[in-house]
Amino acid sequence: MPSVQDRVVAVTARVLQLDESEIKLEQNFSADLGAESVQSIELVANFEEEFGIEMEEDAALSVDTVASAVEFITKVCEEQGVAV
Amino acid sequence: MRLILFDRPSPKRFHFDPLALSRPIWDLRIGMSSLGDKMIAKTGASDVACFVPDYMAEVHRETAECPVNDASKLAGDDLLLVHGRVRASGFDVETTGPSQCGLDADGEVLWARIAQADLAKLNADSIDALLASVKEALPKAEGETAAWNYTWELVLENPDQLTEDIRAAGRSGIEGSVEEPRAIRGSDKDIYVARGAVVHPLVVMDAEHGPIYIDEDAEIHPFTRIEGPCYIGKKSILLGAKCREGNSIGPMCRIGGEVEESIIHGYSNKYHDGFLGHAYVGEWVNLGALTTNSDLKNDYSNVGVSLDGGKAIDTGSTKVGALIGDHTKTSIGTLFNTGAYVGAMCLISGTGKPLPKFIPSFAWFLEGVVTKGFGKRKLYETAAIVASRRGRQWTAAQQTMWDDIFQITAGPRGEALKKGRRVLAGR
Repeated sequence: MPSVQDRVVAVTARVLQLDESEIKLEQNFSADLGAESVQSIELVANFEEEFGIEMEEDAALSVDTVASAVEFITKVCEEQGVAV
Repeated sequence: MRLILFDRPSPKRFHFDPLALSRPIWDLRIGMSSLGDKMIAKTGASDVACFVPDYMAEVHRETAECPVNDASKLAGDDLLLVHGRVRASGFDVETTGPSQCGLDADGEVLWARIAQADLAKLNADSIDALLASVKEALPKAEGETAAWNYTWELVLENPDQLTEDIRAAGRSGIEGSVEEPRAIRGSDKDIYVARGAVVHPLVVMDAEHGPIYIDEDAEIHPFTRIEGPCYIGKKSILLGAKCREGNSIGPMCRIGGEVEESIIHGYSNKYHDGFLGHAYVGEWVNLGALTTNSDLKNDYSNVGVSLDGGKAIDTGSTKVGALIGDHTKTSIGTLFNTGAYVGAMCLISGTGKPLPKFIPSFAWFLEGVVTKGFGKRKLYETAAIVASRRGRQWTAAQQTMWDDIFQITAGPRGEALKKGRRVLAGR
């Protein structure tokens, strides 16, 4: 199974219409990857669908970089008993 | 005699959602006033108390003119208990007399008259206990008690109720100002412009088919056409509106565009062009420019309304527009389908197509699907800003109540969110 990081990058690339190779862990979703506010919401929804988890909106939307998204999603998966 | 208005959780309560999520049923409006006002007037009660769902009690206390959820009011006098659904116009129960009660076809207590001497035989520890013991112990009155069953009934009967209410108010003439040139159709005696109200030049007031009542400090801007029967609430502003027959508006609303046979609660805005017909709109709603609802299907069949995202209920009418809950905001160009249920605290972004007929409360409807958006905290921040612009306050009690409503409405919203995620993932 692909890693959490691979899956986060794949979802981010699809939603923001980027090439996966363009996405770096340290990059900020809005400042570096160009995510607009609606796309941030789409990213949250797509991460939830990809991992089968429910994320609290405020916490999820406070995640700003790809690396912190990987960390946050890993934590939520653990809390909700989702194997990754 | 003490009048006790009650509206406790029951299987039929959701028939009045999304409007009744944040208010007791008797605070719904028809004609010039609320159902509760009408019942108080009908019974002539001067001593009134009320019982609402617990989660909204504290907020209701902020505005209610009577004790709320105070069990001590269930003693010390003859009582007349009346459910918020009961129609005042058909309620002919004598306020004094032997104890008895009236039930609906499903056995729900719609009213009970309890002589003080009989209270000791009943369990009056709480309103729910009292209603249960009333149902068990008191004689049942014969005949049916007329009650409201769905919100759209209020909309459909609004024109007739407006005519009745305005006639009963017995006001006529110009106490405010109507600037020249004025254009009045019908009889002057069917028009009332209250003190402080200002009607600008070039406003048409057409009372040929029904009376017009413009309440205190309302302001009607040029090129507005008001067709009776119609009630414009205190401090409301009409901005070049095509205000067709059967509207109850206000107070403190800002209304433009075309509005027909609709009920709009206070502090709501529909500033710009766009059509609203046979709609019921809650408080603090903002409809963006060109927001429009359909109120008639192309095949002229009865309109169905889904109150929970499931099977639609046949309204029995070919004309039903949108039901829009409190604090909902729409973007420019939002198009609501016929008989749309639009929850409370929603943020709706139009798609250029008619939106789904059911949008759950607290939905951020974006890119054609229900999402979590930026969450309820952001919606509360907006509600606080909007309230402050009108000199009102968003209180801690309101936030607590809306947190409870968030939980109450979680089921249908969860289903819609799942569907939305699937759609977004498939794009």
